[in-house]
Amino acid sequence: MSELLKITGLRVSAEEKEILHGVDLTINEGETHVIMGPNGAGKSTLGAAIMGSPEYTITGGSIIFDGADITGETPDKRARHRIFLSFQNPIEIPGITLSSFLRSAYEQVTGERVKLFEFKKVLGAAMDVLQMDKAYADRELNVGFSGGEKKKAEILQLLVLRPKLAILDETDSGLDVDAVKTVSAGIKAYKEQTGGSLLIITHNTKILEALTVDKTHIIADGRLAAEGGAELIDEVTENGFDKYIPRGAV
Amino acid sequence: MKEKTQVADIDRSLYDFRYDEDESSFLDCGITPEIIREISAEKGDPEWMTEFRLHSLEIYNRLKMPDWGPDISGLNIDNIVAYIRPKKGMQSDWNEVPDDIKETFEKLGIPQAERESLAGVGAQYDSELVYHNVRKEVAESGVVYTDLESAMHDERYAGMIKSHFMKLVPPTDHKFAALHGAVWSGGSFVYVPSGVKLEIPLQSYFRLNAKGAGQFEHTLIIVEDNAYLHFIEGCSAPKYYEASLHAGCVELYVGNNSTLRYSTIENWSKNMYNLNTKRAVVGENGKVEWVSGSFGSHVSYLYPMSILNGRKARAEFTGITFAGEGQNLDTGAKIVHNAPETSSYMNTRSISKSGGISTFRSAVTINENAVGSKSAVSCESLMLDSISRSDTIPSMVVKTDKADVGHEARIGRISDEAVFYLMSRGLDENAAKALIVSGFADNVSKELPLEYAVEMNNLINLEMKGSIG
Amino acid sequence: MTKLNILPLPTFARLGVNCAEREVGAFEREEITVPEGAEQQIIKFVSPCSETIVTVGKNAALKLVMIFADKQRCAARLITTLDDSARLDLIQLYLGGDTVSEIVTELKGCKSAFTAEIGYDLGAGDVLDINLVANHYGRKSTSEIAVNGVLRDNAQKTFKGTIDFRNGSAGAKGSEKEDVILMNEEVVNKTVPVILCDEEDVEGSHGATIGRIDEQHIYYMQSRGIPEEKIYELITRARLLKIIGKIGDEQTEKRIHNTLGWEVQY
Repeated sequence: MSELLKITGLRVSAEEKEILHGVDLTINEGETHVIMGPNGAGKSTLGAAIMGSPEYTITGGSIIFDGADITGETPDKRARHRIFLSFQNPIEIPGITLSSFLRSAYEQVTGERVKLFEFKKVLGAAMDVLQMDKAYADRELNVGFSGGEKKKAEILQLLVLRPKLAILDETDSGLDVDAVKTVSAGIKAYKEQTGGSLLIITHNTKILEALTVDKTHIIADGRLAAEGGAELIDEVTENGFDKYIPRGAV
Repeated sequence: MKEKTQVADIDRSLYDFRYDEDESSFLDCGITPEIIREISAEKGDPEWMTEFRLHSLEIYNRLKMPDWGPDISGLNIDNIVAYIRPKKGMQSDWNEVPDDIKETFEKLGIPQAERESLAGVGAQYDSELVYHNVRKEVAESGVVYTDLESAMHDERYAGMIKSHFMKLVPPTDHKFAALHGAVWSGGSFVYVPSGVKLEIPLQSYFRLNAKGAGQFEHTLIIVEDNAYLHFIEGCSAPKYYEASLHAGCVELYVGNNSTLRYSTIENWSKNMYNLNTKRAVVGENGKVEWVSGSFGSHVSYLYPMSILNGRKARAEFTGITFAGEGQNLDTGAKIVHNAPETSSYMNTRSISKSGGISTFRSAVTINENAVGSKSAVSCESLMLDSISRSDTIPSMVVKTDKADVGHEARIGRISDEAVFYLMSRGLDENAAKALIVSGFADNVSKELPLEYAVEMNNLINLEMKGSIG
Repeated sequence: MTKLNILPLPTFARLGVNCAEREVGAFEREEITVPEGAEQQIIKFVSPCSETIVTVGKNAALKLVMIFADKQRCAARLITTLDDSARLDLIQLYLGGDTVSEIVTELKGCKSAFTAEIGYDLGAGDVLDINLVANHYGRKSTSEIAVNGVLRDNAQKTFKGTIDFRNGSAGAKGSEKEDVILMNEEVVNKTVPVILCDEEDVEGSHGATIGRIDEQHIYYMQSRGIPEEKIYELITRARLLKIIGKIGDEQTEKRIHNTLGWEVQY
């Protein structure tokens, strides 16, 4: 299996405060990785730094994706390398419909123009997986969507854009049982349809039930505190993160 | 914890007493070059100041009255006695202050307040500073807090004053700035040297007493780099039946990486024309914070202006205006973004009651060079009855694309449900409404030192009293 | 020079927003009357010096579309009086030129309603000054004003919007919102949203956003692969399209697309 993502010695700051103090992480093609850790440990920061969020500054280390150094790239170029981040709190963008936005994104990441009716087919198929009402396609992007609808819309974008690596940031948080099921089905469908890699940032193990996890990483206080296989999830679920939190840190 | 009892039982009449003036100390009414020379001679002005006054008077005579804003035709400047001589020179010992003047301040609780927590008090009685004291440790840190006239005659500060006085607010700015330049008298000079962070606030209390008197005090504050100052200005005046004029001027120079907080709770008597000019210029990464409560006066024109000249300079304006019967209060703020990455935030509330008129007026200007600047303005108005009036006139001028300017405003009334809810818990209608209005004013009360917040809430309660039924 | 677009309550003179001064000739006058209970829709390509006087009768409704597409000097005035339960739905599009436009709506009737959707896309040399005044007299009268625009090159725009709650307009509601996207460092934008209030029982609000597109919006869209220039194009176009889509007349919409030089995307 070849390397898809290789992060080496990554240091990340926000507002002049360092959050990640040198993180290494490698994900091979087709693998599913899980990141767990206490609140404020830097899990979401890692996801955002891989996507190139302007809120964070990379102060050291490198991110290599699919053989290319993307450490300094803008988010759109990273997306065209086929990285996808599912946002914890997706932004509402008034005036632009979900469908026209996604069609534009689709054309950008694939580099091909797509006719409207063809795109509608792609979109429709993805919406079926998520049992979404087709009317959502013509609604303004995320505007007035409930928390669950926003998360579903994120997974819809994942299915349409078919990235090589999907980073899911707390995609399960705030969802009811049925919605977790639907979202899980969406993630599974992505995996089956594309064979892509997954990096799942989560608190919750329910969303992982339908997936085969290859590796688990524990982040505490901005550092990788432990690594293991799927068994680590059960261990953490049972015992919590206490033993990973360095003494002196709160 | 500090005791706050002396302000708990505040009463409107506290502000409405007055002592008889000794008529002999009045100068002629009206303003001529002769009067200016007389004032100047009496104050022992340096020559440049005499020239400055005379030049300002020329400008005053040339400029027109403002053609916007509330009506000020009731103001006859020729009838305002420009300058009332103090009965005694400046005192540094409270015991030597004349009794009637002392009594006024005793009633307002100033010396007590000072004893408790203030760093220094400069109290202006009519035109001259009569009492002045700065705590020893403040003085030892190199901070200068004195009256402007003394400072002008002190060779250590004379040059500084000459190079800063009315440079931020030139007499050409508007008619009343010119008037101020001609007849200014009294006020404060504060100098905070580099690196000094004054943790306790400096305070001054201005007060007008003489009938028909104008007050033209000048406040000049220079905060050097890497410093901090909180200056509190309080104003109250007794009630009179002849129009009085206040045309003060405040000039604030805020150095690089410094913060100056300027708080005012203004409660002029209800016949005052308050045509005050306040302005700050802020250096790189510096910040000016205005906290402003306007309760008094018959007519106010008051728009503190912040000029953000250094990269990353910031301005914050938090204000409340309460216009009751017979009042027309036109207040707001102006902000000029003159450097990259500057930011400003304005948060104001206004309340209109018993026929009062309150106008919120603002101007945010983002100039061509203010690339990457941000501004947010939020104003809310509350109408307490339908004989009052509330106007909101914000304006935003943006001359660069790399800016982010936001504005929101709301106007409305006290919700019946809220009143009902409080009444169902046992409050009478008056108390319920007063409580809601106090809550509405919390943007300002949160920013004030506790004793001032309490005093402001008492003012609100007084204004609300007897308003219903 | 004639003073046009006079702000109902003047403000600081130095801002240059109290009026617009232009050389104008005589206004060409047109009157539109919508009789009681009727519903009408009118689409106008506005000619350079025109005054439109509109009266909408009881329970009547007018949808009025006005397009300012001439790249020349233009002064226009629209004065509307609304009777009880009358409504005016106004759509205005400004596509260039040097335009001074005044919109005065007298909400005289009880429950009269006024909505305005105004869009502009201005480029090199374009100047636009709009003075909109909604005077609420009638009880429970409502006004809703939404302005969306884009300024490019060295375009200059002033939007003054006044909601005036007159005494007696109890129960009235008014809101106005302007969102402006600035695309070039040489643009000048002036926004003056005024609320005048002489009545207790009313609700008024206004808001404005001026500047670049929010950084978080850009990041979100970039993370889906869309480059920044494309994001601006998408969002600015979407704003106008939303207004154009409300015209509901294919012919007119096509003509506007042509003026804007947009290829129609299907």
